[in-house]
Amino acid sequence: MTAAQPWRIHGLSVEGYRHRRQGLPCQDACAYATTSSVAVLAVADGAGSRPRSEEGARLAVKLAAEHFARRAKAAVEVQPGEAVHELLRDALRDVSEDFLDRTGADAQDFATTLTVVVLAPGWIGHLTVGDGFVVVRAGTEDGERQFHLLPQAAAASEYSNETVFLTSPDVARWTHTECVSDDGVDGVLLSTDGLAQAMLNRPAGGAQSPNTSFADAVFRSLDTATEDSPDTNLAALLRSDRLTALNADDKTLLRAVRTHVR
Amino acid sequence: MHSEYPPTLPAEYADIEFENNAQRMPLVLCLDTSSSMAGQPIQALNNALAEWTRELHDDVSLSYSVEVAVVTFGGQGVGAWRGPQLLDPRARMSPFIPAHAFQAPQLMAAGVTLMTEALELAMHIVAARKSELRASGLQYYRPQICLVTDGLPTDPTGHLTDSWHRLVPVLAEEQRARRFRLYAIGVGGITDMGEQVLRAFAPKFNARLQGFPFRELLQMMSASANAEQKGAGDEVFEKIFSQFKTQRPAWEA
Repeated sequence: MTAAQPWRIHGLSVEGYRHRRQGLPCQDACAYATTSSVAVLAVADGAGSRPRSEEGARLAVKLAAEHFARRAKAAVEVQPGEAVHELLRDALRDVSEDFLDRTGADAQDFATTLTVVVLAPGWIGHLTVGDGFVVVRAGTEDGERQFHLLPQAAAASEYSNETVFLTSPDVARWTHTECVSDDGVDGVLLSTDGLAQAMLNRPAGGAQSPNTSFADAVFRSLDTATEDSPDTNLAALLRSDRLTALNADDKTLLRAVRTHVR
Repeated sequence: MHSEYPPTLPAEYADIEFENNAQRMPLVLCLDTSSSMAGQPIQALNNALAEWTRELHDDVSLSYSVEVAVVTFGGQGVGAWRGPQLLDPRARMSPFIPAHAFQAPQLMAAGVTLMTEALELAMHIVAARKSELRASGLQYYRPQICLVTDGLPTDPTGHLTDSWHRLVPVLAEEQRARRFRLYAIGVGGITDMGEQVLRAFAPKFNARLQGFPFRELLQMMSASANAEQKGAGDEVFEKIFSQFKTQRPAWEA
């Protein structure tokens, strides 16, 4: 990462209690790519029920980093709004086609969700297939940092463990895109559903909102991190019994914070 | 909790506050406690429940997610238990209790076999629990109902009855709509006729087992709960169940 990069980025995926106990690999993955003008962040959650979902998740984030960065770099002058939504959908189409080309007739065995954020000068694009989610940090109120959950696609089913995959038929219909143009955003985190219970509160009858104490702690640790220091404490947090009790699935946290004080 | 995982949070993150909003997985044990279960069978059931309860408490991933309710049919009718406590039917208290706090009831066997009414009660409490969870903003997995019997449905006077037929289309529709997974298990000296009833109730997940292998049965329910949390496909549940039916430990495979 060069000093010119406006974002410091760090991501990790850890295997959940259930996979660890069964000796199975982590089926989550995350990746990012930076160009001179944009950064692309991607997380994926391979479907537990499919035999090659671990590879599917890794392939999905790799392809997303490539294709979204290429599209975004070529369109860096694009204005916030419809053009961004279009760019995101075009890039997803590239990813889907490439994914299906590489996985062939067995594509369903690689089923995975995919959540992508593009950080461009002037706008932030968000696209999600399935139940990954994005929380941003922006602004302060009464001296407290404010956190916002970006809008998500509607749930695919009554049951929380059923979702939509990159390989699902008619995936475009289930894809949700957002364009945020707020210069006040100085932190972005992406996660898979393994952290949904820890990171999001669901008040009775109200909308979901970020768990402020969790979001604040994980952004703060990246704000103060030194270059290239392995974040062993964060891995320990994600593997802790406290989080396992809330969700025993694999967990992924991909964070980006602005590197300079605004 | 038994786990290789760090039990405490790293100091840097020790101040994080969490709500207990784990995704819930309602599980109803719908158990025959009629007179035919008296003696050794009910003792075996009580022992198995106690042991399963300990295992559940030790399971980091199930203990905060699974919610257990017990429905019994025996004595003079049907009853719902909240852990060790038999609920007054007039009290509007939910029989579901988080697995980490669940304590097994001490069941006694006597009386008639109101199997139909017990299943109706099980369906009712599952639907009510889902509404409560939705109202509290909590997510849930597909519930499991496990019916265990060694006999045939009777009426309140203890005579065999055909009234269970009314339940067959209802259960078929509920299972088609994936409102829950129903397991119907015949144990002990259950007859061919008894097995037919179970097959009608749960066309996919019915079994007739030798003796009273309650321990294996409860372990199978935990294995299925785990599969549900994993988002496993139907074939996985069928595999777990078929291995259970042949009394091999599928969950160790």
